[in-house]
Amino acid sequence: MNKMIPIAYWRNRKVYTRMIGSKCKDCGAEFFPPVRVCKKCGSRNIEEKEMPRTGTLLAYTKLSEPAQEFKEYAPIYLGFIRLDNGVNVISMIADADEEKLKSGSRVQATVRKWTEDGKGGLIYYGYKFRVSD
Amino acid sequence: MSVFIRSAYALPVSEYWTKSIVDLMVDAANRAIDAVPGVKIDKVIVGNMMSGYANHQEHLGALLASSLGMKGVEAIKVEAACGSGGAAIHEGYLSIKSGEYENVLVVGVEKMKDMDTPKTTKALAMAESSDFTQAVGASFISLNALLMRLYMNSYNVDEELMDYFPVIAHKNAVTSPHAQYRKAITVDDVKRSPVIADPIKLLSSAPSGDGAAAVILSSKEGPVEVLASEIATNDLIVAQREEPLRFLATEIAFKKAIKKSGISASDIDFMELHDAFPVVASLGLEAMGISKKGKAPQDASNGRFNMGSELPILTFGGLKARGHPVGATGAYQVVEAFMQLAGTAGQNQVKGAKVGLTHNVGGVDTTAVIHIMRRVE
Repeated sequence: MNKMIPIAYWRNRKVYTRMIGSKCKDCGAEFFPPVRVCKKCGSRNIEEKEMPRTGTLLAYTKLSEPAQEFKEYAPIYLGFIRLDNGVNVISMIADADEEKLKSGSRVQATVRKWTEDGKGGLIYYGYKFRVSD
Repeated sequence: MSVFIRSAYALPVSEYWTKSIVDLMVDAANRAIDAVPGVKIDKVIVGNMMSGYANHQEHLGALLASSLGMKGVEAIKVEAACGSGGAAIHEGYLSIKSGEYENVLVVGVEKMKDMDTPKTTKALAMAESSDFTQAVGASFISLNALLMRLYMNSYNVDEELMDYFPVIAHKNAVTSPHAQYRKAITVDDVKRSPVIADPIKLLSSAPSGDGAAAVILSSKEGPVEVLASEIATNDLIVAQREEPLRFLATEIAFKKAIKKSGISASDIDFMELHDAFPVVASLGLEAMGISKKGKAPQDASNGRFNMGSELPILTFGGLKARGHPVGATGAYQVVEAFMQLAGTAGQNQVKGAKVGLTHNVGGVDTTAVIHIMRRVE
């Protein structure tokens, strides 16, 4: 069985690997993940916008019992990150070292394996953040 | 048009290995129906979150109506994640208000113990975005864990203070006839329990369970009147909220419900709060203006929400100790408020209770359902 829906992964590949979000052409607000309608002004005049790949860690958690498609990687670390354009994102943390995971740590996006369908199956890649200082 | 509750019944929350989802619904529904001799039900509404994924069963409305032998009766299922039960009651309320129906049977049900833990975790995560939240490994509990960290950092709150919510819940569950865990615990027990998603521990997290609760809403007078029933929503993706620590859905639904009910917040004698995690209980109380921002855990530790105090909460154990059969929870809360207001709460009776409020949440305050009820004198 596939751990993710392959065609949904394909549809979202730009979001997952390049962190393409949205920008409202009317009010300038930026969003990640992408939106269809601006959450600030209600405009449908939306364009693609690549997010900055650096930010600050505001909080993290170590999850011992992830959902079934991630259970072989337990425990996994998740962070609440404020990107340098002010947009918040929740992401897995790569190379987690609890000594370095602090509120206020600088983090940087990288592309890593999220999960895979087993031997010969699909491998799903996407963004994870790691501490940069 | 006034809306009354004529009867209400909740099955003990448990692990029903020998019963199917149909058995649970029928058991609860029959008890509610038997309490109103001769009642003719003209609509059935089922509140449920995950029967498709957990039980390979959808179409619960028709399934329940036909299982009860109600030939031809209108029936639907309502879904709003963990807020499904409350949302189903809301739809029942609106049906009576419309004047098209006289008696509506609402059943909240969840049969989740057939799943193992990773599958349950996946099912609960479906309250959030498949493409953008589940895909990055964020489970429902991990979102709440991140929110709890942000809350503790922002308001400088000690983790230990947050642990008073499960202590209150378990204390009230000891004498609760339908609670899953009828055992008192201490702050120290919570602190020493295994960590699931730091800082959330086993004993600060609502358990999963099987359960069903049934309510008969009617235009004919019953022991309890529903004064207001309101639903509001917040951004589905928590990280996209302008203020992640603001429970906007709860805030909006509460304000509307107070306005429509014609009562003031100080008239509320008890509250069945959505205490899935201590941070959810805290942000819920703060969104309703019951506690000041960042102060709900302190209010809980000071005894403000204990039985016999200013505002008792979780009077039968709340989600934490009564149990959290997710899509049924909102219906359980309404049954509990009915028992308090009808004076059938036994050892858990809030003395002189005249007005009660239920607060049911789907997702992380993504959907909030508020009901305000009063005792009919």
